[in-house]
Amino acid sequence: MTTLTTPTETFTNDTDVAISVSRVAAARTVGASKVFGAGDTEVRALDDVTVDFEKGRFTAIMGPSGSGKSTLLHCIAGLDSLTSGDAYIGDANLSTLNDRQLTVIRRDRIGFVFQAYNLIPTLTAIENIKLPLLLARRHGDQPWIDTVVDAVGLKDRLQHRPSELSGGQQQRAAVARALASRPEIIFADEPTGNLDSRAGAEILKFLRRAVDDLGQTIVMVTHDPVAASYADRIVFLADGRIVDEMLEPTAERILDRLKRFEG
Amino acid sequence: MLRTTLKGLLAQKRRLITTVFAVTLGIAFLTGTLVLNDTMRATFDRLFSSVYAGTDAVVREKAAFEGPQNTGQQRGRIDASVLDDVRKVDGVAHAEGSIMGYTRIIGKDGQPLGNPASGAPTFGTNWSDTKQLNSFTLAEGRAPRADDEVVIDKKSARDGGFTVGDNITVIVQGPPQTLKLVGIAKFGDADSPGGASAVLFTPAAAQRLVAEPGKFDAVSVVAAKGVSQAQLTERIAKVIPGGTEVLTGAQITEESQSAIRTAMSFFTTFMLVFAAVALLVGAFMIFNTFSITVAQRTKQNALLRALGASKRQVLGSVLLEAFLVGAVASLLGLAGGMAVAGALKALLNTLGFEVPAGGVVFTRGTAIAALIAGIGITALAALAPAREAGRVPPLAAMRAVFVGSSGYGSKRRVFPGLGMLGAGAGALLLGLFGSVDNALSLVGLGALLVFLGVSVLGRTVSLPLSRMLGWPLTKIRGFTGGLARENAMRNPKRTAASASALMIGVGLVAFITILAASTSASISATIDRSFTGDFVVDAGGGTTGGVDPGLTRQLNQLPQVEAATGLRIGSARIDGSPQMVVAVDPTTAFQLFDVKPQNGRPTDLGLDSIAIYKDVAQTKHLTIGDTIPVLFKDTGEKHLRVALIYGENRPAGDYFLSIATYEANFANRFDYQLFVKKAPDVDTQTALAAVKETAKQFPGVKVLDQAGYKQELAKPITQMLTLVYALLALAILIALLGIGNTLALSILERTRELGLLRAVGMTRGQLRSTIRWESVIIALQGTALGLLIGLFFGWALVAALHDQGVDQFSAPVTSLVVLVVLACLAGVIAAILPSRRAARLVILRAIASDS
Repeated sequence: MTTLTTPTETFTNDTDVAISVSRVAAARTVGASKVFGAGDTEVRALDDVTVDFEKGRFTAIMGPSGSGKSTLLHCIAGLDSLTSGDAYIGDANLSTLNDRQLTVIRRDRIGFVFQAYNLIPTLTAIENIKLPLLLARRHGDQPWIDTVVDAVGLKDRLQHRPSELSGGQQQRAAVARALASRPEIIFADEPTGNLDSRAGAEILKFLRRAVDDLGQTIVMVTHDPVAASYADRIVFLADGRIVDEMLEPTAERILDRLKRFEG
Repeated sequence: MLRTTLKGLLAQKRRLITTVFAVTLGIAFLTGTLVLNDTMRATFDRLFSSVYAGTDAVVREKAAFEGPQNTGQQRGRIDASVLDDVRKVDGVAHAEGSIMGYTRIIGKDGQPLGNPASGAPTFGTNWSDTKQLNSFTLAEGRAPRADDEVVIDKKSARDGGFTVGDNITVIVQGPPQTLKLVGIAKFGDADSPGGASAVLFTPAAAQRLVAEPGKFDAVSVVAAKGVSQAQLTERIAKVIPGGTEVLTGAQITEESQSAIRTAMSFFTTFMLVFAAVALLVGAFMIFNTFSITVAQRTKQNALLRALGASKRQVLGSVLLEAFLVGAVASLLGLAGGMAVAGALKALLNTLGFEVPAGGVVFTRGTAIAALIAGIGITALAALAPAREAGRVPPLAAMRAVFVGSSGYGSKRRVFPGLGMLGAGAGALLLGLFGSVDNALSLVGLGALLVFLGVSVLGRTVSLPLSRMLGWPLTKIRGFTGGLARENAMRNPKRTAASASALMIGVGLVAFITILAASTSASISATIDRSFTGDFVVDAGGGTTGGVDPGLTRQLNQLPQVEAATGLRIGSARIDGSPQMVVAVDPTTAFQLFDVKPQNGRPTDLGLDSIAIYKDVAQTKHLTIGDTIPVLFKDTGEKHLRVALIYGENRPAGDYFLSIATYEANFANRFDYQLFVKKAPDVDTQTALAAVKETAKQFPGVKVLDQAGYKQELAKPITQMLTLVYALLALAILIALLGIGNTLALSILERTRELGLLRAVGMTRGQLRSTIRWESVIIALQGTALGLLIGLFFGWALVAALHDQGVDQFSAPVTSLVVLVVLACLAGVIAAILPSRRAARLVILRAIASDS
C-alpha cells in the first residue's frame, strides 16, 4: 500500500498574504483500483491507490504512458468509476453517487481543463466560460468573472466563437471556465499538450497564479517536466501505483527522477 | 471500389435501416395499390366474363347522353314488344327481358342495407329462368314463382340477418312492400355484385315495383347452336326499332369490365397520389442521410482520392451505395406491399365497395414499377450528395476537417428556388382557373414545384427561421433552449431538408383541413341563407332512389305541419350540358326555401316549364317565355318554357322543374328529400315527434333538424377527411423518421462536444432536453412552411371552387393550432431515441473520441 500523508505548512504567496493550508484534502482516494477488461485481457490501470490532494495546492501527476495517471484523474473527477476503493471530492464519496449527483458535483464543485476540444463550437467565448454556471441556471459572481476574464486576457474576444480564437486563446478560455464558478478543485489533463511552449507557459503561469493569488486547488496530469515544475508537489505513478512524490520540484530534479524510473 | 462501398454500407447499417425503411414504406404503398388494382381488375374481369358467359346479344335503348358527375350513360327503357320481335328472329334460342331499378332491403333491425347515396348501388331486378341469361345462381331455396316472392343476394342475406322463408320488407316505388324470401343467390362466384345489394323479383313484379310496366331495360339473347354472336346481332339489328341498339355478348362483357375499371381507377389514382407523396418525403430523407454521411466521410473519400481513386469512382461509390439501399428497400417494399394490398382491400370494403375473393395478382409490371420507383428515387435523391463527395479534394485527407457545420444558407439558391416556386404557383393557378387540358395534372405538377421551390428556399430561410422559432425557447428553457437553437442553426442545409420532409405532410393536411372547413362553412351558410323550414327528411337513397311521395302527402295532412315539400332529382341534358336537376312542388316549396325570385312567379312553374338561375339566364340571354331544349332519357328532347328566373342557386342548382314536368318526363317516382315547416303554434319538439312518427311507416328515412341536416351534409366530407388524414399520416411518419435520423447522425458528429458538456456539468436530462428542443425547432420549421403552403393551396382551391358552391373561405384556427401542437409533439417523439442514445454516451469515450 502506497500512502502519502499530507504535510502541513504555511507558505507565502507573491502578495505576501499568508494562506493557511489545513490538513483537509480537497480530493482524495482510498484504496482506489481500476481494472479494465477481464481474464487474459485484464489491465489493472489503478492498483490500490490512496492519495490526498490538499486544498490550495498545485499538484501534478506524472508517470509514463499507461501508468494510470489519466485514469486516476478521471476517477477523482467523477468522469469514471472505480472498480474498488473510494474517491472523494471534499466529503462526498463519489462511488455512492448516481449519475445526476455526480454531474452536479462536476458542475458546481469541479473545474476542468482538457488537452483539446475544450469549447463548444456553437457558443461564444463568454458563454463557454460561463458554461457550468449557465447549466446550473446561476448568474455567478460577475465581478469575479470579470476578474478571471481580465486575467486570461480575453476581454475583447468574449463574443467570438472558438473557431475564431487561437489555440492559446482557446485554452485560456478553458482555464477561465474552470475558474469562473470558483470550484473546490480544478482538474487539468495535459492542458498544454497541444500548445507551443510560449502559449503553454502562459497557461501554466496562469494556473500557478490561481493557486498563489486565489488559493485555488489544482490537480494536473502531465508528462512534461517543465509543466510539472510549476506545481507544488508531484505524485509519480507507474503501473497503476504511486511510486514516489516530490515537493518544491524543479524541471531538472523531475528529469532526474524520470530517468531513474526508466532505468 | 465495390468492396469499400459494401464495407462502408455494413459499417453504418444502423443509420441505413431508417433510410431503407422510409423508402420501403413508400414502395409498399405503391405496390399495395398496384397489386390491389390488378387483383380487382382480374377478379371483376373474371366475374363479368362468367356472368355474361351465356349471353350472345343484348338489345337496349341507345344512350341518350352522358350523365353528369360520372353517373355514366343515361338511357331509357325499351318497349316490351321488342322482346317479341327478337324472339321471332332466326337463330335466337332464348330471349328475355331484363328489368332494373332502385330497391332497398330493410334489415331485420329496421335499418336499410347498404348506402346508395355514397356506396355501392342497391337495386331490384328480375329473376331469369333461362340459365344462360341469369347472372345469379341459387345458393339456397328456390326461384321466385309468385309476385310476392323474392330472392336476394347472399351478402344482403348475411348483413340483414335473413334466412329463406323469412318475410322481408323492401323499399320500391310506391309504399314499402313486405314480401316472402324464397331463395338466396350468388352473383357468379361472388356473394354480391361488387358490394351492391340485389333483390330478384318475378319479371312482372319487377316491372311493376321497380321499373315501368310494359318496359324492359334490355333484352338478352342466347343464340341457337351454330349461330355466331356476330351473325345473331346482325339479324337482330334488322328487326329492332330506331333508337335501340344491339351488342354482342363480348361487347357487353367488355363494357361492364371497363365500367368497373373506370370506377376503380379513381380509387387507384387517389392511392397512387399518396404513394407519390410518401416517396417524395422519403426522397428528402434519403438526400439528407446521404448528405450527412458523405460529409462525415470527407476524410475517407479524400484518402481514397489521394490514393488514386478518380472523381468518378468516388461519385460512383456513393451512387452505388444509393442503388443498393434503393434495391433493398424496394424489395422489402414489394413484400410489404402484399400486406398493404390486404389493408386497402379491407378499406374498400368499409367504404362499401366489396371486392370478391380471388387470388392476389402480382404482375411483373408491379415489380418493375416498384423497383424503378424505389431505386430511381433513391439514386436521384443521392445524386447531389454523390457529386459533393466526388468534389472532395485529395488534400482534405491531410487537413483537419471541421464536420458538423456547413456554410450558412447559400444565396446562390435563392433565384432557382424562387423560380421553381413561381413556376409551381403559376402552373397551379393556371390549372385551377385557366381553361386548359389536363388541368388536374397541371395542378399536381404545380403543387410539386411549390414544395420543391420552398424546400430549395428553405436552405436560405432556415437560419433566420430557426433563430425566430427558437427565440421563445431561450426564454422558457434558458440555456439548454439556447443551445438547442444554436444546434438547429448550425447546419441550415440539414435542418431545412429535414423540415422540408415534414412540410409536405403538414402542407397537405393544412390544405385538406381548410378545404373541408370551407366546404362545410359554405354548406352551412347556404342552409342559413335559403332554408326557411324546420326539418329535413332525408330518404337516404342517393339520386337514383328515395321515398314514396306518399310521405309528403301524409306530412301535409298533419296539424303540426304547415307545409312539407318533396324534392325529386334526375339527370337531364339542358341546352347541351348534362345536369342533375331538381323538381319541386311550386305550391309548397317556396315556403321552405327562398330562391329569391327575380322574374316571373314561382307559381307559374307548371308543366313543360323550367326555372333558371339569374347568372345562367344572363349568359344564355334567356328571359321569361323563351324556350330551352332539355333532353330526358325517358322521353327524349322537350322544349321547356322559362317561367322563373331566380337569384339563389343553392340548394336547387342552376335549374329546377316542377313536379308536373318531372312526372311527365321521368319514370322515377321518388322524393329524394323533403323539407318540412312546422305549424306556427306548435313547438319544435312536438312537431319533430309528429313528423318522426309519420316517417316511421317509411323505413330508412332520416328526420333531421337544421343542425342535423348540416351535419348530414358534412358527413361525407368528414369521412373523406378522416381517410385523407390517415393516408397523410404515412407521409408525416416518414418525415419524423427523417428528423430522427438527421438528429442521430448529427449527434454522432457531436460526440466530443456532448462529452464535454456532460463533463462540465450538463445532466442527462438537460442533454435530452437540448436534443428534444432542437427536434421541435426543426419540426416547427417544417410546420410553419407547410402551413403557409397549405393556406395558399387552400385559398387557391376554394377560390377555384367558388362557382361550385364553395363560397366561404375558412381556415379553422383550432384545427391548425392542433396541427402545430401535434407537430411539436411529433418533434419530441422523433427525438426520443436519438436523445436517449446521446444521454447514454460514455463521457470519457466521447472526450477521447477521434471524430
